[in-house]
Amino acid sequence: MAAETTPPPGAEIRDGNTAAETAGAAHGDHVPAGTTEVAAHGSESGGLPQFKFEYWGGQIVWLFLIFAVLYILLAKVFVPRLRKIQDNRQATIAEAVNQARSVQAEAEAQAKAAQAEIDDARARSRSLAADAKAKAAAELAVSQKAEDDRLQAQMDEAEARIRGLRDQAMSNVRGIAGETAQAMVEKLTGQKVTAAEIDAALTAQGAA
Amino acid sequence: MADPMHQFEIQKIAGLPELAFTLPGVGVIDMSITNSTIAMLLAATLVVVFLAVTTSKAAVVPGRLQVIGEGVFGYIDDLVAGIIGHEGRKFFPFVFALFMFILAMNMLGLFLVFTATSQLAVTASLAVMTILLVVGYGILRNGANMYKLFVPSGVPWYMLILVTPIEIISFLLRPVTLALRLFGNMLGGHVAMKVFAGFVVSLGAMAAGGGLGLLGIPGAALSLGGVVALTALEFLVAFLQAFVFAVLACVYLNDVVNLGHHH
Repeated sequence: MAAETTPPPGAEIRDGNTAAETAGAAHGDHVPAGTTEVAAHGSESGGLPQFKFEYWGGQIVWLFLIFAVLYILLAKVFVPRLRKIQDNRQATIAEAVNQARSVQAEAEAQAKAAQAEIDDARARSRSLAADAKAKAAAELAVSQKAEDDRLQAQMDEAEARIRGLRDQAMSNVRGIAGETAQAMVEKLTGQKVTAAEIDAALTAQGAA
Repeated sequence: MADPMHQFEIQKIAGLPELAFTLPGVGVIDMSITNSTIAMLLAATLVVVFLAVTTSKAAVVPGRLQVIGEGVFGYIDDLVAGIIGHEGRKFFPFVFALFMFILAMNMLGLFLVFTATSQLAVTASLAVMTILLVVGYGILRNGANMYKLFVPSGVPWYMLILVTPIEIISFLLRPVTLALRLFGNMLGGHVAMKVFAGFVVSLGAMAAGGGLGLLGIPGAALSLGGVVALTALEFLVAFLQAFVFAVLACVYLNDVVNLGHHH
């Protein structure tokens, strides 16, 4: 930077001067011939080219025209279009989410139904098993009872038979005893005793 | 030509004397096509082309271009909705047009030779247009209640004596600051770039003279680095000023849309 302030003699530096020169030149060039009044106003302000007011009117009017067209295009065409795209997307996403949710709900309901079916089948099989068991138990009880009864009858019959046999045997014992007594009496005494006497004696003996 | 102000000169491209008309009290309005008109037209065309291209194949699943278009749209939409609230939707096209137009003019200024937003006539018109919309809509909506804009609620009367004039002055200064902020940023940035670029040339010319002038080489290199850095900064400023303009337009609109109840 220091070098700039000390230019070597002879070097052609036209920086500072030309600025003013060209500004002045440009000023002169661009003043429209017909609008001396506005031009005078513009040159009064000097300095920045932006303050040349003879160009303000045109710029402002053009700006409003261009901006109006741009605004109308945006408001009527592009903003609704973009809004529609976004609304569409949102609707699509919402629809997809809803669909997924309903599918999920359906799957859940189906799973629940299947579970219920399984539970039902399980309960049914359980009751079936219980029924079968009960039936088998009842049948067993019936047949056992029948068998018991049969055995009991057999036993009773056998007991009755045994009792009969015993009674018969006991009555035989009396006969044998009578005959034995008759024979013993005959042998001992040599007298004949009748069976009726012996029987009477036996009865008396038995009663004693 | 190293005049840093030359870039702001209005130059007639095509004279249109048949379009010129006289505005009473103002004078003759020269409707000639100038470099400023061309820049504004180009900017507006660029905006329209950009939006047309990015929204031409509207798909639910966006393509790359559509993402950009929707990104800008969503950015400003969120801004408007965030500042003004749900009633901001009717102002969205205006704010969006304002933002896109200013951004396009600022950006074109960095690629072409003329920046429309460095013209005070342009920025002042945009600012006045915005404030007129604010005032017009405010009166239409609030009627006589507009005075509340200058009389904040919940302030004791003795404070109002002080606050109300301040509020009025600040409201009157809004279009001025709105216009000057954009104008000043664009003007200053482009002047600085041009000045640094001029240093590169003049220091280079000095170095070409040989001898002590060779000292100009590092200076020129430094200036060149400065131009590069400034250009990067100007891209940021170009976006930022368009954004700031849009934000302030929203803030001013919010003042009259939600008059009296701050949120």
